[in-house]
Amino acid sequence: MRINPNPLPDLLSALEQTQQQVNTDQEQIASGQTVSVPSDDPAAAAMLVQNADQTAEADQYSRSIESIQGEMQNADSTMSSVVTILQRAISVGTEGANGTNNASDRQAIVSELQGIQSQLVSLANLCYQGSYVFAGTATQAAPYVLNADGSVSYVGNDHTNQIAVGDNLNVQANLPGSQLFSSSGNDVFQAIQDLITSLQTDTNISGAVTEVSSAYNYFDQQSVFYGNALNQVNTQATYLNSETAQLAQQQSNLAATNLPQAITNLESSETADQATLEVISQSQQNNLFSYLSR
Amino acid sequence: MSSLNASLAVALSGLAAEQGALAATTNNVANVNTPGYSRQVPVLVANDPIVEDPLTFGTGVTLQSIQSVRDPILESQIQQETQTQGQLGALVSALSETQTNFSSTTGDIGTEISNFFAAVSQLSTSPADLSLRQNVLTAAGNVASAFNTAANNLTAQQGSLNQGVEQTVGQINQLTAQIAQLNGQISNLQNAGESAGTFVDQRTQLIDQLSALVDVSVIPSNNTLALTTDNGTALVDGQQSFQLFTQANASGVQEIYSQGSDITSSIVSGQLGGMLVARDQQIPAIQTQLDTLAAGFANAVNTVQTNGYDLTGTVDQNGNPVKSTNDLFTPPPAGITGAAASLSVAMTDPSLLAASSDGTAGSNGNAEALYALQNQAVVAGQSPGDYYSGIVFNVGNAAANATASQSASSLVLQQLNDQRSSVSGVSLDEEAANMMQYQQAYAASAQVITAINDMMYAAINMTTLTG
Repeated sequence: MRINPNPLPDLLSALEQTQQQVNTDQEQIASGQTVSVPSDDPAAAAMLVQNADQTAEADQYSRSIESIQGEMQNADSTMSSVVTILQRAISVGTEGANGTNNASDRQAIVSELQGIQSQLVSLANLCYQGSYVFAGTATQAAPYVLNADGSVSYVGNDHTNQIAVGDNLNVQANLPGSQLFSSSGNDVFQAIQDLITSLQTDTNISGAVTEVSSAYNYFDQQSVFYGNALNQVNTQATYLNSETAQLAQQQSNLAATNLPQAITNLESSETADQATLEVISQSQQNNLFSYLSR
Repeated sequence: MSSLNASLAVALSGLAAEQGALAATTNNVANVNTPGYSRQVPVLVANDPIVEDPLTFGTGVTLQSIQSVRDPILESQIQQETQTQGQLGALVSALSETQTNFSSTTGDIGTEISNFFAAVSQLSTSPADLSLRQNVLTAAGNVASAFNTAANNLTAQQGSLNQGVEQTVGQINQLTAQIAQLNGQISNLQNAGESAGTFVDQRTQLIDQLSALVDVSVIPSNNTLALTTDNGTALVDGQQSFQLFTQANASGVQEIYSQGSDITSSIVSGQLGGMLVARDQQIPAIQTQLDTLAAGFANAVNTVQTNGYDLTGTVDQNGNPVKSTNDLFTPPPAGITGAAASLSVAMTDPSLLAASSDGTAGSNGNAEALYALQNQAVVAGQSPGDYYSGIVFNVGNAAANATASQSASSLVLQQLNDQRSSVSGVSLDEEAANMMQYQQAYAASAQVITAINDMMYAAINMTTLTG
């Protein structure tokens, strides 16, 4: 059997391959990535695109949460202030119902209640970064207007905004004033206005105090909305942090170079390369002609 | 009765034959590194004997011919594999260039679509904020330009493949002309009964080169050969070569013609075949996917946009708010072809963005609906991000497959070349041994002549002595 007398092309192609391998290994170590073009691993490349997508979504959910947290915290602390003020209104109203009060005592109480009323209006018109928080979605105008006759009207709407803070997870970002302060039958402004009228006319003051109490109770129940919403977004923010970490881990599993492995690979491919060079330098140094001498 | 003179003639035929055989070895050694050279062997034949009853005398040796050693079947396998290799080589280089459009993780289509939805989501937290609205328009512009860039790159790549096709056709024509010329020289020599080994080697070498460019079938005929493409288009017939021509069609694509008929779609292998597959199949497939994504995305966004209310507070005669009539993206062409290249943002005024679902500035309902598109099946039954990742997979997979096939084909070709070399390659060891053999035989024949000379001398002297 005649053998191939010129193995050099084969050896050169082997050398090309070992050098290619050395380059690939070096590149993976230098870039820290095993997938630099899609053909390196098409399935991983496609999953990396989805991973990047999900990471961007998670980042955006976190930013959205940060954006609404400020408003919610403001609203929540407003709730506390309103609670305090309404308690004060009930307490002065109860004082006013005491039969020993004379007209000027009641007038003093009326004045305080009028002050409370305008404080309430001001709280209910909470404006955060240019938009009125309790106006439903009509956030461009103050939702409560204190009329000349002392009554308060609501000019907001009863719409709410949903904000996406997770895949298929939306939180309601606002509670309209019409469900909070001026719900029909439990309107705090109306109750205080009625209390003022009762004190001024000295009729059924204790009945008016009861009306304020019941409006207060209703408000107190509704006001937990912001606290709950804050809890929900804070929990979600924690979840998003762990999701981001998990996505980063997945990304690294898909495409990051495993350094110890890569360095071992590089060493072995360099050895193979050296060996091939050695073989080429040793081969074909002699043939029969070298031994023919005359 | 044999004579001394007859013996002298026999010895001389030996000298001549060994000299000729040595010439073959010399030529082999000289061509040890010549590409495509097939080693030559001397064919020595014993001369017809003379019968002088009852004896039969040999009449020496003749160097009948010097033959090149080659295996035609192996050579045709090499040509086949070279065609595959050429096709895959062109395909790999085209696809490697194509996939760079989908390699980056910044500024690519996927990232920009993702950024767009992030901007929309941010807007939903504060729907009346003009700077957030502007961010959405900017992000939409970035989506459009990412599509434009990718689509333009693909078109440019098709353009350079077009040029490549023209150049390759030029090379093919040059090679077929040379082969036809060699055919003439070879048949002249062979008709005159002479060895055409070197010319045949050259022709084989040219056919190998031609095989790297286009599919070639070799049809040998008496003392010459014909070449056709795999589906029968004539390239060379004897001393006649048939030129291929390129001509741009209506859309500027170079089509290939042979003797008046369009043979573009029939060329399947060689570098030309690879370029045509990339230009006419692979790249258009990716373009269609990009167009599908661009059109699906833009239409979905426009549909949601015109279902909501913008910041302008436009109302009808009854004072009810009116839905937006402004598209965010210029509507894609109806047949979607060219959607990626032509995608652009139609809106310049951020207040026209319809974020509201009830007409109030504070409502974010429509921004949320727009954001929800991110995970809705709006592009051929998939979400925009999933569809894009599918494109990345397809592009990467095509390139990876072509690369893998190319390495496999390289191995096969290497093995075939080894086999050819083991049949036809010049071995210096062998030539050295042959040289010694011929040298010794020559020396022996020379020695015989000396002996005959001595015998002649003896015979002549014998006459003198007796005379």
